[in-house]
This record gives sequence, C-alpha cells and structure tokens, in this order.
Amino acid sequence: MIFQTVLTAMLPEHLLLAGIVTLLALEIGAGRPRGALVHAVASAATVAAALAALWLHASHYSGAPFPGHYAIGPATALAKFLVLALAVPVLLLSREQFDDARYYVLLLGSLYGACLLPSSMSFLTLFLGLELLSLPVYVLVLLAFQRPEGAEAALKYLVLGGAATATFLFGTSFLYGATGTLAIEGFSMAFWSGDPAALSGAALIIAALFLKAAIVPLHAWAPDAYEAASVPVTAYMATIIKAAVLLAALRIFAVAPVAGLVALLPLLSMVWGNLAAIRQSSFRRMIAYSSIAHAGYLFFAFLGAGPGRYQAVMFYLATYGVMTLLAFTALPGGSDDARADRLDSLKGLFHRRPAAALAIAAAMLSLAGLPPLPGFVAKFLVFRNVLAAGHTGWAVAGLVASYLGLYFYLRVIQIMFMQESAEAAGDAGSRRLSWLAGLLCLVPAVTFAIFPGWLLDRL
Amino acid sequence: MSDALLLNAVLWLPVLGMLALPLLPRGNDAAVRALTLAVVALELACAAWLLVRFDGSVAGLQAETRLPWIRAWGVEYHIGLDGLNVLLVALTAFLGPLVVAGAFSAVQRDVKLFHAMLLLIQFTMLGTLLAQDLFLFYVFWEAMLIPMFLLIGVWGGERRIYATLKFVLYTAFGSILMLAALIYLVYTLPWHGGSVSFAFEYLYRHPPAAAAQNWLFAAFALSFAIKVPIVPLHTWLPDAHVEAPTAGSVILAGVLLKMGTYGFMKLGVPLFPEAARFFTPAMMTLAVISILYGACLALVQTDIKKIIAYSSISHLGYVMLGLASASLLGIQGAILQMVSHGLVAGGLFLMIGMIYERCHTRDLAAYGGLAKLLPVYSLFFMILTLAAVGLPTTSGFAGEFMVLIGSFDAAWPLYEQGHAAALVLAGSAVLGVVLGAWYMLWFAERFLFGAARAPHQPLVDLGRRERLILAAIVAAVFAIGLYPGPLLEKTELAARQYQKVLQGSAAAEVRP
Repeated sequence: MIFQTVLTAMLPEHLLLAGIVTLLALEIGAGRPRGALVHAVASAATVAAALAALWLHASHYSGAPFPGHYAIGPATALAKFLVLALAVPVLLLSREQFDDARYYVLLLGSLYGACLLPSSMSFLTLFLGLELLSLPVYVLVLLAFQRPEGAEAALKYLVLGGAATATFLFGTSFLYGATGTLAIEGFSMAFWSGDPAALSGAALIIAALFLKAAIVPLHAWAPDAYEAASVPVTAYMATIIKAAVLLAALRIFAVAPVAGLVALLPLLSMVWGNLAAIRQSSFRRMIAYSSIAHAGYLFFAFLGAGPGRYQAVMFYLATYGVMTLLAFTALPGGSDDARADRLDSLKGLFHRRPAAALAIAAAMLSLAGLPPLPGFVAKFLVFRNVLAAGHTGWAVAGLVASYLGLYFYLRVIQIMFMQESAEAAGDAGSRRLSWLAGLLCLVPAVTFAIFPGWLLDRL
Repeated sequence: MSDALLLNAVLWLPVLGMLALPLLPRGNDAAVRALTLAVVALELACAAWLLVRFDGSVAGLQAETRLPWIRAWGVEYHIGLDGLNVLLVALTAFLGPLVVAGAFSAVQRDVKLFHAMLLLIQFTMLGTLLAQDLFLFYVFWEAMLIPMFLLIGVWGGERRIYATLKFVLYTAFGSILMLAALIYLVYTLPWHGGSVSFAFEYLYRHPPAAAAQNWLFAAFALSFAIKVPIVPLHTWLPDAHVEAPTAGSVILAGVLLKMGTYGFMKLGVPLFPEAARFFTPAMMTLAVISILYGACLALVQTDIKKIIAYSSISHLGYVMLGLASASLLGIQGAILQMVSHGLVAGGLFLMIGMIYERCHTRDLAAYGGLAKLLPVYSLFFMILTLAAVGLPTTSGFAGEFMVLIGSFDAAWPLYEQGHAAALVLAGSAVLGVVLGAWYMLWFAERFLFGAARAPHQPLVDLGRRERLILAAIVAAVFAIGLYPGPLLEKTELAARQYQKVLQGSAAAEVRP
C-alpha cells in the first residue's frame, strides 16, 4: 500500500508539517497567539518528529515512498534524528527572544528541508531539500533585526546562497546532460566515466556544497551572518545547517573517489578558520570561524574509505553539534545584544556564573579536540580514517592545522577564568529554559566522552 | 581488598574528591582543603601499600585491570604496575598531600577550583603512568594540559597568561605529532591476526617496519623531549616555573617533567627499538648538552625560582643520559634520579614558596644571611641543597652516581673499539656535577649566609605544618640515599628488560 508507505516513511516530515500548519492556523485564527503556546506547539512538533525518526531507526524500517527520489533506511532515520534532536535545544533557546509564530514556522520549514536531505535519492529531492533548508534562514537572520549590519549580512547571505543555488543547478544539468540521469549515483558515475562535462558538473556541485558549508574561499558570508543573527539562529546555522549540508554531501559522495579533489580547500579552511578566529572580538564571529574550520575537518572525513565515512561524519556532527550548542546555552544573555556578544563580556564569568563558565570551557576544549572531551574522539575517528586510507601527508597536515585552533579556544577560557570582570555585566536573570537546553546537551556530551563506543556501535 | 582494586582506588580517588567538592557549601575554604587533603592522604596510603606489596622478582604487570573500553577500536581500559612506573606512582602519591598542605595559606582565591584542579592533575598524571594501552595513555597525557593550564593561568604570577599559553602550546605541538604517529603505528602497518590493538604489550611484540620506525620515533621523541625538557626545546620551562604558583611548580618539577623521561622509557624505546638505537648517540649528546647548558644558565640567574628551574633541566639531563646509556646501572640510576629529583626539586620549590609568602620577592639580591633570621628554614634548605648537589647519603648522590658510572660503563667498550665520543660525553657529564655543586652552593651561600637582610622583617620561622611537610621530604631523601636497595630491587627486572631492548641482539653478543 503506497499510501501507508508515504505515511510511515515520512512520519518525521509529516509531524513537522503538522506543526507548521497548526502554527499558521493559530496565527490566522487567534490573531496574535500567546508566545508560550506557539513555543509549545513548535517544540512538541520537533520532539515528536525526532521521536518518530528514532522509532523508524529502532524498528529498522526501510521504504521508498517515491522510488528513485526519496528513500529511508535505519541509517537515514538516525541522521534525521540527529538533526531534529539538535534542534530541540535551539528551540528552547529561542523562547527568550522570539514569541512570534512566524519565527517558528520558518524554523520548522527549514528543519523540513534538513530532513529531506539524508533521504534524497535524486538531485531533484536534494535541490528541494537544500532550498527548503536555506530559504527560511535568510529571513531568520533578518528577523532579529537590531543592528544595521543585520540587513547587510542577510543580503550577503541571500546573494551568496542564490549563487550556490545557481551553481548547484548548473552542475546538476551538466551531470544530467552527460549521464542522462538525475539519480544521485550520476555523481559517482561521472568519476568512473571521466567524461569532462560530467566531471565539471561534479565540480560545480562540490563548489555549491562548499559554499553552503562555508569552506574557504567560499566562506565570507558566514562570519557576517553569524554575527548579525540572534543567538538561537546562529546556533541553528552553526549546527543544524552545517549538519544538513554535510549529510547531503554524504549522500552525494557516498563512495565516490573524491579524495584529492576535496582535500585541499578543507585544509585551507582549517588553517584559515583557526587563524582568523584568533583575531575576533565577537563571540559569534569567532564561532563562525570555528565552524569554518570544523567544516574542513568534516570534509576531511571523505578522504577516508567509503564505508567509514558515514560513521565518521555522524559521530563528528553529533559531538560538534552538542558541544557548540552547549556553549550557546551557557552564554550569558543580555538586553544589549551587541554588547553581550563581545568576548569581553565573558570576562571573569567564572566568578559570576561558575556553572556557565565551566560549560563553555568544556565546549571550547571539546571543539579544540583535547581529550578526554568527546571532540577528541571525533577528531581521532576522522584522522584515523584518513590515515588508514593511506593519505599520511594530508592527515599530518590536517592535525597540525587543528593544532592552530587550540590558541583561540584557550583564549576564551583565559578570558572567563583568568581576568577580572570589568563591571557587573547585565546578565539576564533566571533562564530556566537555557538550563534545560544545556542539560539536554550535557547528557549526550558526557556519554560520548565516557562511552564513545556506545555511539560508534550504533553508527 | 585485592591489589587491582586498590590500584583503581589510587587512580580514581581524586575524581571522586573532585566530584564531591562542588557539594561543599560556598565560602567554606577550610572544608575544601580538609576534604582534598583527606583524599590525597588516603590515596598515598593505598599507593604506599601497593609499593610495599610490589614484587620486583616477577616480570610483567601487577595489580592489573583490563576491561574493554571502546570495543569497536580494540581500545581497553588497561592499567597496572610494573618496575618502570611503580616508583613514579609512589612519588606522585607522596607529593600529593605535600602540595595540598603547602597551599593551605598561599591560595586564597577560587579555592574550590584550585583544589579541583590539583585533584584533576593528580588523576591525569597517575593515569598517564598507569596506562597500558596507547589510546588510554594519550588521553591522559593530553588531558594533563587542562588542569596545568588553569593552575598556572589563574593562580600564577604577573606574566602568568603568557607563561601558561606558552606551556600549553609548546607541549600540545609535540602531542599532535605524537597523535599522528600513534594512529599511523596502530592502523597502517601490516598486522598479525587481523584485529587492531592499542595494548602496549601487543605493540612491543610487533615493532613497525624499520623504514617507518625513525619517523615514528622522532614524533614520539619530540613530544617527550618537550616535556622533559631537553635543550633546545626547554624555553617554556623557566617561564612556566617562574609564573606558576608554588603548587604548580612542585607538580611540574616533581612529576610532570618525568612524564617525558617515562615516555622514553615506556614507549619511545620499546616501541621503536631499532630507531632508538639509531638515535642513541643524538640522545646522549643532547642529554649532556642539557646537563651543561642548564647548569650554566642556573649559574647566572638572579631569580631564585629560575635557578631551580634551570637546575631541573640539568638534572633531567642525567636521567636522559642514564636511559640512553644502555647499561643496567645507568638505567637504574636514571629511575632513581627521577624520584630523587622529584623530591628534591619539589622540596626546594615548596621552600621558595614559603619564603615568597613571607617576603613577596624572588630576587636573590634582596636576601642574605637567612641562617640567622630563619634557622629552621635554613637547615632544611641546606639539606635539600646538598641533596641537589649530590652529597653522599642523600638520594641525589645515589641517582647521579649510578648514571655517571653507567655512562662510563657504556662508553668504555666503545673507546676500546676506537670511538672516543661517548667517553668525552661521559666526561662532560662529570663536569656537570662540578657545575651543579658550584651554582647550588653559591646560591645557598648568597641566600643563607653573609650579612642578614630580607624584605618584610621580622620574619617568622617555619610553622608546624611547614616543618612537617619538609621533614617528610627530607626523611624520604635520606631514606633513599642511605638505603636504595629495596627500591632498586623493585625496578631491576624492568630495567634489565629495557636494557635488553635498547641493546638489541647484536649488541648483546658483544657485551659479556
């Protein structure tokens, strides 16, 4: 029964859609619905979708409601669960700043796109997913319109996002012309065939992915967009968008021998991201450069042999996402957004809010890849695969590039622990939802650190 | 209680203590200090019992625990005592309570975090020493940086942030190359039996191909050499020592530096025996350069902490010389010298901390004739100075003397074959002893004797707590110096094993 397959296989997406429809109905029916209600609906839809994805994974469900375009299996379901689970802390963080139904509709819409990506079997679905993922975010960046730079950053993001879309379509049409198929396997076929048109199509697609994931030299939009957006939107871009794009890359690259082609620019990303982060004075800008470097590590995972790529990318995304979100949940808010974003506002944070400072410190050390934090295991896994595939030179270069990042992560700790707070910064008072979000990140973080094998066995 | 359980207690007690600290009421510093002291004292008791129980006549690991940790990668939680680490574990546990007690009055800011970091570094150092699995070892090795970063950075002196970043960035650079070598070693070389394992004993039995060994050894050795530190990789040490709080200096000099020499002993040489043989002349040369260069620099310092810092470089040069000598006496002496230097340099840093608390300056020119002002302090200081110089009956003598005899022992057959270089090196190392006596005694002369002067008079002599700390160290110094036999018995078998690996089969035939 095809109808039933459509219903079951796409359950997470349907639940998100139900959330969107409910929110729209509330907006139309109740004029301006209460913030708490809106927030509850959006959170409930996301949690339900995440649980549905988990259930699909646990019951080893696999099906193809739209053969050749959309399919789901246990691994895909887990990827969806990862994306949706990471969205829960983001939603909890959003409550403080947004009680507008529009915000949540856009966020759920973007999540819908993120859910489509791991399931795509054709470039058509993939395109749909990528656009659905990005379009709402152009608006989300602008929604927290508090500073004039916000508009500029959103425009930059929109224009470059449009360029990525065009590049992607261009590449797809090249591929279609050369291979006669829109199926995702066409990408790998381009490499086997060696047809110049197909290869240039593949190169354009890779370029579009690099732009979306903010790989040097296509990264320039990220720092501006991250800085201009409000905290939850930045957290969303740094974790879920990054994860969704990498999951799309995972679908496309699958087992394609992309090695040399994808290695150089990600390596440059690590070096440049880690070096440029040193000079930042805005926390979100710094995280943007950090995410540029981490996109580099993530793409390095494709240097490894085909079968290990899924495990490496998923483990990395899980730890990176959880730890980045942990840092954002612990970040002290403030009425003045621009001032709260200054790294200087973290001065002496340990004396004001020891728990928050410790959480941010743990997140920074994990992002830097120091053991015993989970980021180390993720880094180890990626570079292990690269070395095991015989790319010794790339692995050593990548590890040395990752060393460059240590300094700016340590600088955050230094600011929080080793400097006196300049003045009594206007920290927001009780933030119960942030605490809950932080806890949601902390539990998996501790689990990944102490029992990384538990997650590895499931990937 | 079984030994294995006891060893786990030694390792994990600090973690339990660290988790209990946040539960204590805010502002109750006395309770924080008491709890930390109780934890490390209990740990010392367990470690002492294990040291007594350790049987030197049995080869292999004792008090072993082996559990799967990351099954997918073949990583194990594998800890145990052997002849190489048993003394260092005891030393680490011994210094724990002294460090905590020594900081009772010195640290008044962020007391809870300070003690949490002391416990954390205790945990990571013990883990590094006890680990028998390369992955586990690396996790502990690298994790040591985190508490030390905060210890120097939060409670250090004026230039603490510069010093702590320099320390972390120096050591982390070595570690990152070690990580690359570690992954390469485990994953890319042909394996016997198909499964991957990080276990030391497995890796010992399957050394990598000779072509790769030199590179891998170089990566590991760089990491260890930075930690020791061997000249010319030593420039982080004076800054870190000078800026660190007393507790940080004691831990740094007492245990952390030995991680480098321990790494050579436990991993560098046995994992890559052929490369180690190839690099032995270079290691000996650098060791002697460290001895002489460290001593020369110590001679010209005017900051009392810097004198001891540079003397550490010199003293650890002896350890490296002994380890490279491939003679049993030299190797045993190196192990003893590690313990001795831990006690003596740790004690001297504690004493500098005590005078700094009273006078708030480390400038040697500000002091003089302390023997008249602080007789008890001066007595202890003189004893430790003489131990650092290597006076017979102190632990310093036993270690240094054995290393020197060992290096001559190793150099003589080479000289008979026409290679004089080794003999020249051994002779230069003796020159280091002379220099060592010169800078330490000259320092003591300016510091303790002559016209009495000190800032912030009148000075109060050592209190009961301080006397107790120093008495414990001095007792250990004399115990090892007068009667090193029992300790040497415990390490002899492991030292023989190490010697056999370093000599290889070819050299073993030449030697009697």
